[in-house]
Amino acid sequence: MADRRIDLPQGTLDLLILRTLALEPQHGWAISERIHQVSSKALFVQQGSLYPALHRLERKGWIKARWGASENNRRAKFYELTALGRKQLEREESAWRKLAAAVAQILETT
Amino acid sequence: MLNDLLFRLRSLFRRKTVDAELEEELRFHFDKQVSKFVQSGLTPAEAKRRARLEFGGMEQLKEEHRDVRGVSFVETLMQDLHYAVRQLLKSPGFTAAAVLTLALGIAVNATMFSLVSAFLLRRPPGREPDRVAVVSSVNPAGGFLPDVLPVSAPNYLAWREANHVFADMAAAEDRTVSLTPQDRSAEESRPEALRSAAVSPNYFSVFGVSPLLGRTLAEGEDQPGHDHVVILSHELWERHFGSDASLIGRTIRLNRENYTVIGVMPASFRLLGFTPQLWTPFVLTAAARKDRSLYLFARLKPRVTLEEARAEMATLARRAGETFPETEKGWSAAVRILPDFLVHAFGIRNGIAVLMTTVGFVLMIACANVAGLLLARAAGRRKELAIRIALGAGRLRIVRQLLTEGLLIALLGGAMGLLLAYWGIGFVGANLTFNEAISAVPLSLDWNVLLFALSVSLICALLCGLAPALKGSQTDVNTSLKDEGRAASAGRSHSRLRTVLVTGEIALALFLLIGTGLLLRGIFLVEHQNLGFQADHLLTASVTLDNARYKDPSQQTLFVRDLISRLQQIPGAEAAAVASDLPATGPGTVTLQIKGQPELPANQRLSALEVLVSIDYFRAAGVPLLGGRTFTETDSATAPRVVVVNQEFVHRHLQDRDPLGKQIRLDVKGATPEWSEIIGVVGNVKSYSEGPNDDPEVYEPLLQRPVSSFSLMIRTTSDPNSLASALRNAIAQMDAELPLARLMSMPDVIERQRGGNPFFVTVLGSFAILALILSAIGIYGLVAYSVGQRTHEIGIRMALGAKSPDVLRMILRDGMKMTAVGAAVGLTLALPLPKIFDAMFYGLQLRDPQLYFVVPAAILVVAMLATYIPARRATRVDPMVALRYQ
Repeated sequence: MADRRIDLPQGTLDLLILRTLALEPQHGWAISERIHQVSSKALFVQQGSLYPALHRLERKGWIKARWGASENNRRAKFYELTALGRKQLEREESAWRKLAAAVAQILETT
Repeated sequence: MLNDLLFRLRSLFRRKTVDAELEEELRFHFDKQVSKFVQSGLTPAEAKRRARLEFGGMEQLKEEHRDVRGVSFVETLMQDLHYAVRQLLKSPGFTAAAVLTLALGIAVNATMFSLVSAFLLRRPPGREPDRVAVVSSVNPAGGFLPDVLPVSAPNYLAWREANHVFADMAAAEDRTVSLTPQDRSAEESRPEALRSAAVSPNYFSVFGVSPLLGRTLAEGEDQPGHDHVVILSHELWERHFGSDASLIGRTIRLNRENYTVIGVMPASFRLLGFTPQLWTPFVLTAAARKDRSLYLFARLKPRVTLEEARAEMATLARRAGETFPETEKGWSAAVRILPDFLVHAFGIRNGIAVLMTTVGFVLMIACANVAGLLLARAAGRRKELAIRIALGAGRLRIVRQLLTEGLLIALLGGAMGLLLAYWGIGFVGANLTFNEAISAVPLSLDWNVLLFALSVSLICALLCGLAPALKGSQTDVNTSLKDEGRAASAGRSHSRLRTVLVTGEIALALFLLIGTGLLLRGIFLVEHQNLGFQADHLLTASVTLDNARYKDPSQQTLFVRDLISRLQQIPGAEAAAVASDLPATGPGTVTLQIKGQPELPANQRLSALEVLVSIDYFRAAGVPLLGGRTFTETDSATAPRVVVVNQEFVHRHLQDRDPLGKQIRLDVKGATPEWSEIIGVVGNVKSYSEGPNDDPEVYEPLLQRPVSSFSLMIRTTSDPNSLASALRNAIAQMDAELPLARLMSMPDVIERQRGGNPFFVTVLGSFAILALILSAIGIYGLVAYSVGQRTHEIGIRMALGAKSPDVLRMILRDGMKMTAVGAAVGLTLALPLPKIFDAMFYGLQLRDPQLYFVVPAAILVVAMLATYIPARRATRVDPMVALRYQ
């Protein structure tokens, strides 16, 4: 298997899922595909981490799930952001940006 | 939070649906992935293979997902419970033994806790009882409960006005009144002496209680002329008036006067030892400072703390001491919150504390036994545990599994224990009736008891389950799987822990037996001590002459003279006498001055018990005269004052010099001090029948100091109770409205006075024996088990030539070693017990060195027996069988 993949730092997966769902409700496969595409195939989310993460987020009330029809008319579980999730996303995004900027600064100056 | 809960609940109760949904979701994902691979040019088979590779284990994913759902705890618990039930059903003998042991332990605890719940935890009636304080006097001289004495009327008035901490302060005085029945014709309708309280009008409002019927006292009803109103207790209203609601507004006769019934209090208005049958207004009259008779109930002002109230009352009491040093010097005031005061004054706390400690120990022994049983079983299950660990069960998982078993046993034990406790509480309630206040408090299996039993069960589960659980989880897979089978002496570490448990049990049992033994011995000594007079064949009763008819001392003297002559005429009466107090019933104390000795300030004077007696008292009571003479008719009110003292008086106050002819002066309240001559010496009579004390005592002739309230006694030739009706008739002929209170034989008086002792003895004794039996079972169980484990070893020893006695000795030695260590620990713990009990139980003197030999010896014998039975079985081992034994 091609190993251009990067391991996701702890907690980043939640942020990515929330970000992905911010655009539109999606099912699990589409979420992992989208992350894969948008990151130029750098990031790949294993099902083994995706679904537990989804259900964890659902338990926290940041996303909610409902059954709907997929593109080819199969029953699929769609996840969408809740108001609570949207707030959480904002928080996590700004935290991430700060972190990334700080790390970048250290890497450049030292 | 709520979302989280709903999520968990849904996961728990709709597990099938949730699992199916997950399955579908994952299947969808998988199919999508496959079709993606197909689109990118793979063959369907290859696409499926790659997708599956990427996916990892589907089952593993589901398991992980379940952890996220947060159901695993409950699910695991259900699994463990299921498993535990199966395990317990598999060995019913073990289960029954463990459950029964715990049930006994929990039952005695729950039963005794019902006392705690009824006496210590019950909230007094009224609004915010925690804001009601009780002010009492503190006697600097000490004595029995010296800090719950009543307060004098002058202090009440001064303190009520001067304090800044109480919103309102009420006073109550204990009295005895006679109630004359409406219908005087019936045989049963004799006048009845009732306990009453004279209370200030604000009394009920301080407590914040409302009457069941009618009203409580109004302002101004404490003024003479308006004070003939009465409020009845629920009990009296029910018993005497048949719960007649129309009674309000009618008059009843109290102390020969008509009182209007204005109210009935609800049954819940009960204040432990301060619960009278009826309340009348307290009319303030000029009262002496020495006359401490009032209990003060006061409601704290908002935001005032108990400490502030204490400081304030202490200051006021000190001020009184400075202003009136004669009477108040050294006296201070105590302030307690109502619930605390009631329990403290009732003096039941120490008894309950001892009972609870005892049952606590019994429970610990029971837990140690069950823990031992579980340990033994865990040893037998090593192989099973090893296999489970080898198959991947975590250490924590094993601990949980074993703890769950302990929990199940404890809960079963708790449930059964509650059933036993239900019966036990009924038994205790039926037997705890030695005084009115005690029997008025209902015992029941209430919520407190239920919660207590539940928490005790949970603690048991932890205590019993923890040791075996930790031990079990340490199972080393390799050695366990290999070691099993042919070990010469298996499970050393298991039996070491059990040895510790059994040693602890023996120590506890020994401690309990010595403690109980000390108390029982102390009580026994008191019950069988020589009281200094002859209590058998004495009929007694008490009479209170009311002011309405016998206000004048000369009337009182006349009455007594008439009474005695009538009593002497009763057939079967040998002698009759009247006294201010019956012998050994704790008479009042008086301070005194001996002529020729330096005058001491009031608070440092010598003191003695003071009893006023009629002429024939010493003969009737059977108190021996040791020197001089007793009183005669000539010692009348006008004759020179005379007194008789007891031996202890001569010993302590006169240093054993000849007392006859010496002059003493008693500080009797309300009387002008006069010198009296000592004319006789009599033997010591115990101050209290329930204590060993001989105190200095002074007897004065009633003729010289008449009293309105006294007891009478008749020495009889036959059963004293057979003269009871003749006595009643004699009184009725003299005064039909005069009630006779506490009509009973002297042995009954003593019995009542000793209160709960017999009950206490029975209960404590049975607990101690229960503890001994449980620890004997513990020893037996351990030795029997280790003998079983060592069958193989014993077989080898015997095959190599060891004889039966050698084997027997070896096993007995092991048992004795445990017992000896346990006994030593227990003895050390028990050494300070006499001191502790001395401080807890007034009047019991507990020095009994024999117990410290007898009890360990008894324990050794019991332990020896418990060891001997399995040891003998070991000697019967046939080497051939033993060597083959697995």
